[in-house]
Amino acid sequence: MIKKFAGGASFALLLGLLHVTPVFSQGNPHLTDPEIASVAVVANQNDIGYAEIAQKRSKNAEVLKFAQTMSNDHKAVIAQAVALVKKLNVTPKDNAVSKKLLAGAAKEKKALEAVSDKAFDKTYIDNEVAYHKAVISTVEGVLIPQAQNAELKQLLQKVVPALKTHLAHAQMVQSNLK
Amino acid sequence: MRTLRFAWRCLVVSAVVVVSAPALNGCSSDAGKEKPAPVVRPKEPDIYTVEIKDMKFVPDSIVVKKGDRVIFVNRDMVGHCVTEDGKAWTSGAIPGGEDWMLVAQKSSNYYCAIHVVMKGKIVVKDSVSK
Repeated sequence: MIKKFAGGASFALLLGLLHVTPVFSQGNPHLTDPEIASVAVVANQNDIGYAEIAQKRSKNAEVLKFAQTMSNDHKAVIAQAVALVKKLNVTPKDNAVSKKLLAGAAKEKKALEAVSDKAFDKTYIDNEVAYHKAVISTVEGVLIPQAQNAELKQLLQKVVPALKTHLAHAQMVQSNLK
Repeated sequence: MRTLRFAWRCLVVSAVVVVSAPALNGCSSDAGKEKPAPVVRPKEPDIYTVEIKDMKFVPDSIVVKKGDRVIFVNRDMVGHCVTEDGKAWTSGAIPGGEDWMLVAQKSSNYYCAIHVVMKGKIVVKDSVSK
């Protein structure tokens, strides 16, 4: 599924670079708090975008329910993030990571729109599994360690259990689709 | 004259004693009657709290008595619900920061129907050791 992000700046490659291991740690992009806030918001917006396509295209009740949960939860996270940046008087700042996330999402959305009805549910859920794995890795490996503001760090830490629950939920739906 | 006064005093004192006697002995005046049955008040239900935090029910298993109250408090930023496995009861959506109370009637397994991997259990027993 990650292959769908390939082409140009590969999303998979980006996530590979963001994946924290001692080998890649020196290659991690350095992000400021406004840049981290931007990455967090974009990552949530992407999944809301995927959910909107699923809600238009899927006929599977379990997939539709999952998509609704993704939409509601990621909107709730964005609301918290927006409230925090207002409180901190920080303006989220575009950066290489957020731009690549956006570019990757644009490609994935095109793929989701183009795939056949029959293949849609599997394509959407496979992407949800891959996307959540990648985002968890990025949040835990890059955003949390680099966040300077304690409240921003705390918000990111609080999001991780939700992302892991989403991943487990997506994997359950994925298993049921087989 | 002295004899008359003494007799008068004795009469007054006797009268006071006679009039006061029932009052002084009031607590035992019903001694022969049947005592009312003691009022047995039903025991107040205990209240338990289950926190929903970090996408988990904490604790995920509790033991209560029938009639006890279980309050589910959502500490997460996302909405949750508490639904019995067979859908015999459900809280409906509990937004972040809000709570919902269940009166425990029987043992139940439950889950969050929004995040179906979140599960918990209530065990209802006749008595609960604390």
